[in-house]
Amino acid sequence: MPIARLIDVSKCTACRGCQVACKQWNGLPAEHTKQTGTYENPPELSGTTWIKVEFREKPGEWLFRAHTCMHCTDASCEKVCPTGAISHNGEVVIIDQDWCIGCGYCVQACPFGVPHRDEEGEGTARKCRLCIDRITNGLEPACAKTCPTNTIQFGERDELIAMAKQRVQTLKTMGYANANLYGENELGGLHTLYVLTEKPSEMGLPDDPVLATNSTWAHWVSGAVAAGIVAAVPLWLLFKRKQKVQGGA
Amino acid sequence: MAWAPPIWFYLWMAGMAGGGYFAAYFIERYTKATDNNLLRLATYLGIPMAIIGVLLLIIDLGAPLRFWHLFTQFKLSTPMSAGTWILTVWLIIAVLLVMIWWLSNKMPGRVDGLLKLAGIIKPINVIFSALLIAYTGVLLSVSNQPMWSSSILLPALFVASAVSTGVAILIIASIASNAISKGNLVELRRTLDFLFGSSQWTIPNKVIEKLAEMDVVVIIIELITLIGYAVWLAVSSMSGAGDALGLLTTGVLAAPFWVGVVLLALLIPLGLEITSWGKDISTKSVSRAIITSSVCVVLGGLVLRAIITIGGQM
Repeated sequence: MPIARLIDVSKCTACRGCQVACKQWNGLPAEHTKQTGTYENPPELSGTTWIKVEFREKPGEWLFRAHTCMHCTDASCEKVCPTGAISHNGEVVIIDQDWCIGCGYCVQACPFGVPHRDEEGEGTARKCRLCIDRITNGLEPACAKTCPTNTIQFGERDELIAMAKQRVQTLKTMGYANANLYGENELGGLHTLYVLTEKPSEMGLPDDPVLATNSTWAHWVSGAVAAGIVAAVPLWLLFKRKQKVQGGA
Repeated sequence: MAWAPPIWFYLWMAGMAGGGYFAAYFIERYTKATDNNLLRLATYLGIPMAIIGVLLLIIDLGAPLRFWHLFTQFKLSTPMSAGTWILTVWLIIAVLLVMIWWLSNKMPGRVDGLLKLAGIIKPINVIFSALLIAYTGVLLSVSNQPMWSSSILLPALFVASAVSTGVAILIIASIASNAISKGNLVELRRTLDFLFGSSQWTIPNKVIEKLAEMDVVVIIIELITLIGYAVWLAVSSMSGAGDALGLLTTGVLAAPFWVGVVLLALLIPLGLEITSWGKDISTKSVSRAIITSSVCVVLGGLVLRAIITIGGQM
């Protein structure tokens, strides 16, 4: 049975225990950051911060959301990786640290801005690996294990989806009209699912994420057509026409 | 930002290398030149630019010593792997051509077999030049950065710019080499004699005039493509496309966009070249105008690569 992680943002208190647990389990160093007037810290995901609670607010209400790798079925990072360092291990998308060259293409391709180069370390791209070492040994990921409000849960994907759908209904009756489940079908199905209280775009997620390589052929055609035009138009304007004019005279 | 200044220079130089070869090939066909001198000049300029570009690319890797991992994959679905192989083939053919032409000058009549091979691989590298310059755009557009991926016209814009900068660098190099042949820089002249394997390497003024005319047409195509690209961003329904356009036209990148791209790469060269259209290039004022215009095009091409690379990651 496919596994997944469910993040129910309506339960999040932004304690950021997930951030600390992730750093501890994965041996990731702390980051020097500047006080920017918010408890939201560090400012963004990085090569050494693989999960991070984002703070947003609307009048009278906080919108917290733990941001981390979605472990997409159709993963843009895996598709663009030129060395084959990124691959699926079951549902989990993993960057092979011994094979990654740090080209940064996955950084540009991810629709969620997840992978980052570890500029201070090896220079390779790094991100959440859903604690593959834990889950293959019957444990849940560190973020889920530590979460005191059960915002982050780990389990079988179908069960989590059923639970999330029920939760969305409950939230709707509680007055969260925009409550929704995110990730069931996006990009072939995500393995980090969300129960959101607002529209995805208001919580820092793309409403309609696209696979980076979706229209690769169209972009090649664009370049090829341009090359054809750039070669043919000068020929026609500067040479063929002149010959005709000369021939006519 | 994952993609730092070395990437701008790489995209710019790879564009000029491929664009120069591409333009030289067609100019030679149109002018029915048989001496290959313009194409040789383009190849001599292109090889070092491509190599320097690749070195910059490797420097910008997080783990530069592992660059060879790129050659373990043949994954054409990702533009970076496709580009690795396109650039490799382009460079190998370019080096082969240079060697064959050199030998044929040094040992006339004795390398006819190799010249036949050159006749076959010469047009093949036109295709690889087109692929090379297209790839620099496709590399960016296959991503999830709105400035790069929202409009399908980014690769077309990069192709037009690459050919324009390629033509410009050929104009500069042609006028410079002709000046060297007439001037008293004996050492430089000897170097060129050696590189070309003979002393017949000047580019006729007629060909330079054609290059300048071709640049006018290409700049107009580039201008139209840029407008199309901007309109596409404006009307795109993809989130972030409008913001990306705003960043270029009115945001923090507005100054380099309007001055560095619109004026420097497009309008100033267009004005200068149109005023010298049809005039004798051997006069000083005309040749100065054309050189100025070409320098503007080359620098403007770098500004375009820089602001698009930066802007996409903002």
